[in-house]
Amino acid sequence: MTHLTADLREMVEEQIRYRELLYQMTRRDLLLRYKQTVMGFGWAIFMPLINTVVFSVIFTRVAPIDVGMPYPLFAFCGLLAWNFSASSFRFALTSLTSNTNLVTKVYFPREIFPATSVLVSLVDFAVGSTVLVGLMVYYGVRPSASLAALPLVVLVHLMFTMSVCLLLSMANLFYRDVKYLFDVLLTVWMFGTAVLYPIANMGPRMAAVLQWNPLTPIIDGYRAVLIRGTFPEPTLFLTASLTSAALLAISWLVFHRAEFQFAENV
Amino acid sequence: MGEHPIVFDAVWKKFRRGERHDSLRDLVPSLVQRLTRRGHADELRGEQEFWALKDVSFTVPRGEALGIIGPNGAGKSTALKLLTRILRPTRGACHVNGRVGALIEVAAGFHPDLTGRENVYLQGAIMGMKQREIAARLDEIVDFSGVAPFIDTPVKRYSSGMQARLGFSIAAHLNPDVLFVDEVLSVGDISFQAKCLERMRQNVRAGVTLVFVSHNLQAVSALCRRALVLGKGQLLFDGPTEEALDIYMAAAQNASARYGTQDPQFRLLSAQLTSGAREDAADVITPHARCRLVCEIECLKPANGFAVGIELERTRDLLYCYGVTTEELGESLWSAAAGERIVVTVDFAAHLARGHYRLNLHVRDPRAGAFLFFAESVANFSVEEPRSYDGVVEIEPRISLRRVEQPYVDLDSVTVA
Repeated sequence: MTHLTADLREMVEEQIRYRELLYQMTRRDLLLRYKQTVMGFGWAIFMPLINTVVFSVIFTRVAPIDVGMPYPLFAFCGLLAWNFSASSFRFALTSLTSNTNLVTKVYFPREIFPATSVLVSLVDFAVGSTVLVGLMVYYGVRPSASLAALPLVVLVHLMFTMSVCLLLSMANLFYRDVKYLFDVLLTVWMFGTAVLYPIANMGPRMAAVLQWNPLTPIIDGYRAVLIRGTFPEPTLFLTASLTSAALLAISWLVFHRAEFQFAENV
Repeated sequence: MGEHPIVFDAVWKKFRRGERHDSLRDLVPSLVQRLTRRGHADELRGEQEFWALKDVSFTVPRGEALGIIGPNGAGKSTALKLLTRILRPTRGACHVNGRVGALIEVAAGFHPDLTGRENVYLQGAIMGMKQREIAARLDEIVDFSGVAPFIDTPVKRYSSGMQARLGFSIAAHLNPDVLFVDEVLSVGDISFQAKCLERMRQNVRAGVTLVFVSHNLQAVSALCRRALVLGKGQLLFDGPTEEALDIYMAAAQNASARYGTQDPQFRLLSAQLTSGAREDAADVITPHARCRLVCEIECLKPANGFAVGIELERTRDLLYCYGVTTEELGESLWSAAAGERIVVTVDFAAHLARGHYRLNLHVRDPRAGAFLFFAESVANFSVEEPRSYDGVVEIEPRISLRRVEQPYVDLDSVTVA
């Protein structure tokens, strides 16, 4: 137990001591993206927008479905939230292996790498949100009191994404083919999450299983508090919150205890 | 124990040799293999491990500069990586107290697409500096590095020397309590190296605890009073730098392949050094003593027209002090038949300063320009002398001081034209 508390204290202390590094690393990645690509932050808006158009055509013309709100709003909100997690995961996967130089030569808490991936994606998420606000205005959605629950949804979303990022970056450092495996898994995961259609549309039996995927109540949570003007479905959202918090605690601890093997294994 | 900023307590560090399973594809078969042939797999694993450090202990008190020397693979870098927390010891404990600065891979965090200025902030943060501190010292850092005109140019356009100089400058302005320095002085030109060394000296004078790992023995002796010698993961010596350098050089010479001739035509039978009137072998000599080296060599193959020579070297750094051959001394060339034995007697005066020296003996064919025989360290000796001074030759100096009587000058009466 003393071991655990010592570890926890060290984890927290290091985050405080190195908080400026987290900021600098995030700034580095954003600067690089801005310098290396023509569109810069434009990608953050462009990608979900194109996808929204495509899926709007599919799900309103080809195979119309009822989602209880204008479909483009449903899809864009889902894609934006999903993309935040998905791009965090993708960056985090290679965050340790592509910084071999730093991992083997300089010491600082390695959590910085996956955390940077999350923060960079969070900036994209924020940029893309402006379009969501525009769409909400266009469709005449009025914010209601449920908006107060938005920070909670974001917090749970962050915790869950961060914990998966910690595990992924570590896994890919020890086993390099995790990256390829996860690429496939990510596509499957997206279609098993309520990104483009309500999970109920997949049939009752599958829905009963897939509703426990924490990302489904999180993404539905955004739609509830922003568009429907209701609070998230309590049972599922509470389960997702507790799962995320527990997963974050466990994955962080595992990461912290494994990080001294990183330099030898990268 | 807790008082010292650096404590290295019975540290062992194990590494794996060879390829590692780093994909899931390899993991599955190896797991199956391990399950089916348990004993064999363990055996295999034992062979693939080696100890990079074996039971190494030392402490460094506050404000001391410690050098670590040793051949490649001795464990110096491992020790440094343990000190900087990149690695953790397999056994034992390693503690460093205070703000740590590391002049190791000073440009590791640089990103080629970012400008020098952007990289200063990034690298500074990686080294643990606050943004405020970096901003306050930015001008100083840039001035010191000498890359000021290019500070807003992407680092990918920098030469490697410029990158290293900028990296070093950031690290040099860190104001640490404990500073670790690896082979960073090898980059940059001579004047920058001198500047770095001076900066480290200032740090030590200001009470910074320093650990300096280098193959540059001169720099180590200039900076550190105490040094460790590591060899094959073990601590061979811990003490005054001068002695450490001698031990390291002696070990390095034993280990190195003797660069004698490929196919020697002579064989050394015996060698003895005597000093003064004494008949027995001498290994400690007083300055200016008359010495005599007597060697017996045997000719293995017929040799026609050769000269015999000696070389005198200082052991610490293999400084070539003197060398001469019979030919150069005006003797005619010799010839010898196979099986013939020759006694070589060398008389010389040891006008040498304090230190350890060695004598090499060689046989050379001056017309072919080839060595027929080369024997390193036929005799080793040290010159001992109670006074302390630095150098190679004993010049018996005397220095006297005298005050010059100056006429009184009244400053008020001096007018400037």
